[in-house]
Amino acid sequence: MTEQRQIIHVVDDDEAMRDSMTWLLEGEGYQVACFDSAETFLKAYRRNMRGCLVLDVRMPEMSGLELHEKLDSLGSQLPVIFVTGHGDVPMAVGALQRGACDFIEKPFHNEDLLSRIVRALELDSQIHARRQRDGAISHRLEQLTQREREVMDLVVAGKLNKQIADELNISMKTVEAHRARVMEKMGVRTLAELVKVVLTVN
Amino acid sequence: MAAFPQPAKNCGMLQQLSTKPPKQTWLWLAPYFAIGVFALAMLVLTALLQWRELDTARSALEGDMHWAERTIESRLHAHQDFLAELGREQEFRQLTYEAFQVRAARYASENPEIHAIIWVDTDGKVEWVAPNDATATFVGDQLAGVRLSALQEALRIRRDVVSPDYREGSRGASHDIILPVQRGSADLGAFIALQSLEGLLRATLPAVFTARYSLTVVSADNREVFSNSSVKPTDRQLTGAINIELPNNRLGLNIVAYRGGGAWLPFLPAALIIALTVIASVTLVQLRRHARRRAATEEELRAAYAFRQAMSNSLITGLRAIDLDGTITFVNASFCRMTGFSESELIGIRPPYPYWPDEEFDQLQRNIDTALAGKAPHSGFEMRIMRKNGERFDVRLYFSPLIDTNGQQIGWMASMNDITEPKRVRVELERAHERFVTVIDGLDSAVHVADAQTGEILFANRAFQNIYGFDAVGRDTALLTAPCRPAPDAYLRDPQDIGSDELPCEIYDGEIQHALSGHWYHLHERAIRWVDGRTVRVQVAADITDRKHIDEVNLQQQKRLEQTSRLITMGEMASSLAHELNQPLSAIANYCAGCVKRMQAGNYKLDDLLLAMQKASSQAERAGKIIRRMRDMVKKGDPNRQPIALSELIDEARAFADIEAQRTGTQLIVDLPEQLPRIVVDRIMIEQVLHNLIKNGIEAMSDVPVDRRQLTLQARPVDARTLQVTVADHGHGLAGVDMEKIFAPFYTTKPEGMGIGLAICRSIIEFHQGRLWVTPRREGGTEFHFTVPMEEDDGERND
Repeated sequence: MTEQRQIIHVVDDDEAMRDSMTWLLEGEGYQVACFDSAETFLKAYRRNMRGCLVLDVRMPEMSGLELHEKLDSLGSQLPVIFVTGHGDVPMAVGALQRGACDFIEKPFHNEDLLSRIVRALELDSQIHARRQRDGAISHRLEQLTQREREVMDLVVAGKLNKQIADELNISMKTVEAHRARVMEKMGVRTLAELVKVVLTVN
Repeated sequence: MAAFPQPAKNCGMLQQLSTKPPKQTWLWLAPYFAIGVFALAMLVLTALLQWRELDTARSALEGDMHWAERTIESRLHAHQDFLAELGREQEFRQLTYEAFQVRAARYASENPEIHAIIWVDTDGKVEWVAPNDATATFVGDQLAGVRLSALQEALRIRRDVVSPDYREGSRGASHDIILPVQRGSADLGAFIALQSLEGLLRATLPAVFTARYSLTVVSADNREVFSNSSVKPTDRQLTGAINIELPNNRLGLNIVAYRGGGAWLPFLPAALIIALTVIASVTLVQLRRHARRRAATEEELRAAYAFRQAMSNSLITGLRAIDLDGTITFVNASFCRMTGFSESELIGIRPPYPYWPDEEFDQLQRNIDTALAGKAPHSGFEMRIMRKNGERFDVRLYFSPLIDTNGQQIGWMASMNDITEPKRVRVELERAHERFVTVIDGLDSAVHVADAQTGEILFANRAFQNIYGFDAVGRDTALLTAPCRPAPDAYLRDPQDIGSDELPCEIYDGEIQHALSGHWYHLHERAIRWVDGRTVRVQVAADITDRKHIDEVNLQQQKRLEQTSRLITMGEMASSLAHELNQPLSAIANYCAGCVKRMQAGNYKLDDLLLAMQKASSQAERAGKIIRRMRDMVKKGDPNRQPIALSELIDEARAFADIEAQRTGTQLIVDLPEQLPRIVVDRIMIEQVLHNLIKNGIEAMSDVPVDRRQLTLQARPVDARTLQVTVADHGHGLAGVDMEKIFAPFYTTKPEGMGIGLAICRSIIEFHQGRLWVTPRREGGTEFHFTVPMEEDDGERND
């Protein structure tokens, strides 16, 4: 999973644009995947895609904005760079406000595009890392029993062992045993670490 | 009271009438039968009596006959005895002529029927005659004929013989009684008594007898010898015959009784009886006919009475009769039902009547006094009376004089109608009508109803009257509504031709402007059946002036929207062109940048670079094509130039701008010289320019005081072929703005502007070989000027 490469997905209805973009980006050493329409991209879309999306705003049928909204609704976290023509600026601004990563106006300077792509890929890396970490913690949490989970919640809430015992109507010794097993299962040594991990997930 | 007999009294009569069987013909036949039987019995009785009478008469006849027979026979015997005495004396010669004369004359005088007694010799020669004065025969006469033969017969048989009758002289029928005288065996002669038959009957039978009977003497050979006939009629039923045996002869006597009274007498009783029977029958027939008529009349009377009674009882109207003093003489069932009092409680009551409520007492007393005085109004009295249970109700009482069969007024008849319900209904109706009128008058629409044939207005609501005058009803709709009436051929149907079976029927539905007021109305006209059955046209005219105005405004807005959208489309087109150009340009940049990057890095293949550069080159060509296409497109929109008056264009442009001008309170001033030649332009394009400039001007003045918001349109010819139009505003001006930059595409000073309006305007004007420029005004504001070609005055107009 970690080996999956970052790919720059270019969605543009203009053949020349796709081709020239590929030429430019491959010259920079990036891997490029081109799609001639929003629909084609949606078909190829996977949740765990890496990289970023360079999206033309104006396209026949499904526009770039509509594709962005669709991806949002699918829970995609892929960073999106909008490419706009003249007069689409207010539209692009609106898209940014709705969570797009960046936008660039045609005709653009290649350095501008490249810098935005670098930023987007960084963002993607962060997102990927967080997603992986969250996945590990979730995995650990799933290993806890019901009772252990209850105990953990109370511990994280700052309750003393005695209070937990009273609340759950079990003995102090049992609480201590549960607590030890929780620490072990969650792979933490201190209470502070446990709290941090749990809060990250929640 | 004669006109209204007591119902109770009449019940009995009606009962009798109604229980009488409808047909009893046998009852009517009985008298005929009795009469017949009686007549028959009487006839039989009469016949019996007559028969008995006849019987008695016959017995009497027989008695008389026997008596007559004996009397006659004894007389004849006496004569024979006398002759026999004379004979004996002659035989013994003791008799002398003188003695004979004395004795015979005496005998003849004692018996008048004996004419004479004679002595004849055997040859019939008369020798002696006594009495002397007898004229029947004379001494010496010779007997002859039947007398002689009778003599010879007597001499031969030596016994008495009576000769057949004979007539001699005037003495009538006579016969001879012959006694032969012998001495020893010798015949001496014979004594003969000449006897008259009439005399015999007269001597023997009394006058009473001959008066009662008709006697006829017949000889032995049934020859009528003598008759004491009379003119008196005889009764053939009472006859008898006597045979008187004579020596050697016979004499018949027929007796017929004379009829007592006239010939008709026996038939009199029968005739009387038959006459009486006939009279009785006829009388009976007449009686029956009369009875029938009477029954029919009674039936009619009964039916009439029952009808009147039923009518009176079934009437909803209460009837009450009073006599001239006010005493109630009659009430009908309805009256009782209405008042709640029974008939017996009301009959015979004088005012005040029990159904008078106390509070109405005076009024009702006045009413009855008026009525009794004969001054009751024709419309009757409306009054409030009381039921027995105290409930009050309203009635109307009509009075009319009660006249008996003699034409004499015997009282007053009052009919009473309960008007509580009608009164309630009337109030209801009035309310309903009021509601109807309120609703109809409350309508904004003018509603009127007119007769389809005559055009007379039958109904008009307030809105209609407000428009056409308050005297609309009764006038002719065609004249009255002439200013606001569709042309006759605009009607779907001619209302005069619509048959009653086609109703209701649409006649007209459309919008029309009132010629005088200028108001617009939506007319909806239908033909319907009016309340009285005739065909009428109902017209509903709704004032749609406001709506029409709004529609017009909407239409203008729509046009403006189209105009704007046309502009936007042009902007879009420009934008699209820009986008299209962006594609090849961006691609070219990418290819070039890619090449540069690779070459900088030294990490490249020449072929790759070559390919990329070729691609970039082709993209440049593509850009060139786009530009060319754009130019072609603009060129292709060859304007449709036509001569047109500028004022017309301005008017149309103003129509769009007026709304905006009114909204912002801007005053539009159009200042055109007269006799302006027409301009040769594409009207839509120039209209757009005008509209754009006017709109810009209005918007430019949005932040100046309202009284300064004036937009002026002016025009002046600059030369023979060019007209200059100026749009001047008093707005904020273009201070500090490059006067030329404002015509650049996508330049805008307005927050929501696209920045293409003026650019397009300039393109359009330049298209018309004109100029569009702007100058600031000294007193603030901006002037936009443009020039357009004018129509030349020479004959080139046609090209």
